[in-house]
Amino acid sequence: MNLTLETLLHGVAATLRDRIRPEVPEGFAAEMSRLATLLVSVAANAVDDAAAVRVWENQEMRQLFADAVSLVDGDLSSRLAEAAASVDPGLRISELDGANGRLRTVLIALQAEIEVDRRAAAQDLNARIWGLLRTVEERRAPRM
Amino acid sequence: MSELERRLADYLAHQQPGARNLSVTNLARIQGGSSQETYRFRATWEEEGRAVERNLILRRAPPAGLVVAERDIEFTVYRALAGHGVPVPGAYHFETEPCWLDRPFFIMDLMPGKPGHFYASADPYDGQSDAVARAFWRHLGTLAALDHRVLGLAKIRNGKADDDLWSRELDWWTAILEKGEDVPEPIVHAAIRWLRRHPPPGPVKPAIVHGDYRAGNFLFTPDGRISAILDWEMCHVGDPLEDVAWAIDPFWPMTRHLALEEGLREWEASSGLVVDRLALDWWRLFSAVKACAIWTTAEASFTHGEAREMVVAMSGIRAGHFHRNLILTLMTERGIAA
Repeated sequence: MNLTLETLLHGVAATLRDRIRPEVPEGFAAEMSRLATLLVSVAANAVDDAAAVRVWENQEMRQLFADAVSLVDGDLSSRLAEAAASVDPGLRISELDGANGRLRTVLIALQAEIEVDRRAAAQDLNARIWGLLRTVEERRAPRM
Repeated sequence: MSELERRLADYLAHQQPGARNLSVTNLARIQGGSSQETYRFRATWEEEGRAVERNLILRRAPPAGLVVAERDIEFTVYRALAGHGVPVPGAYHFETEPCWLDRPFFIMDLMPGKPGHFYASADPYDGQSDAVARAFWRHLGTLAALDHRVLGLAKIRNGKADDDLWSRELDWWTAILEKGEDVPEPIVHAAIRWLRRHPPPGPVKPAIVHGDYRAGNFLFTPDGRISAILDWEMCHVGDPLEDVAWAIDPFWPMTRHLALEEGLREWEASSGLVVDRLALDWWRLFSAVKACAIWTTAEASFTHGEAREMVVAMSGIRAGHFHRNLILTLMTERGIAA
């Protein structure tokens, strides 16, 4: 059986919490040690699904853009079509984050346009965007 | 004597040519805000035949931190506010020459008391929560009543402005947010657009705004007094409700210790102003945006290696999520985010 990164980091956090922190005198270093323990726990809990979370977000945004192309005009419509047709350049977190950042920039431009559009289709799309943003926040919530 | 103690002693001796046998001991780094390095120390010397002992604080600029603080702002404000009803430490010797301690710093008095940690589940004020909370609101009201021009603070941010204080601050924090963003947060940008389209009611009296007035940024004593209000790096002139909204942000809720309405009554009594609830609601959303800008800066500082403090990393990860969730709640209250 392989030792996963998640298990390894949980082990590091436990060592910091149970064996190192008790040896550190109260004060600035002790507080740093406490926070370091929490941060390692957050990293441990995020490492397994880090790629899956980003792949899912990117797919959801592309689908939104595909559905929104006909609702807007001009340059934004072209940007949406291009973003909807884009693909993730790879499965490294840095590659997925790069794509995620580009897609989010388009999403911001789209929402700025349709949130002042009173047509029902635009308002429905805006509601979908808010729903997506809420879900993204839930899925990315730091777990300690 | 450590290397930093020796260099600090050299500096103090340089500043006080009349002092003999100046010594710095017990230097220890302490928690004291996340945008300045804070150390306490003891300085002793002889002067005109008598022994002098002082417990002092060194505040030194870090390589980078949560926000890009104007380096002399805290020192300037401490000097200006001394003796005007808002408790602040005495401040001495603002220095920018890197030959002394590498980065800008100043020296101030170590004040009595201790901070109450806002995340403590039990009573953080040792049975004095009510008194501390009332003092908290009263001092903020006193600050709002002061005239920054009379105190010589017209040179701080917005110090010469009389209107559009809300848009100046929104522009300021939007620029900071965008500078630090690697992956933009659509939730925060949506809130910024809403704030621009729905300005708070005006006009307002320009006031000295602490900028980070909250639990954790003051010291209290066992008798329930607030002995010092600290961490003025983000001080500027603005709408006094900016500080009120920041103080009631649920990340550091002073309303745990005194109901909001009672706290606002204390503030109104000492400021002589009336809280406009619509304006306060605007500033509550603004506060969440400002917080996100600060946490984004924290993330950027850590990402780019300019800061390695654990509190900076934790702020970026945990507090950023908290305040984006808060924006979702506040936008839902406005009927924007279903």
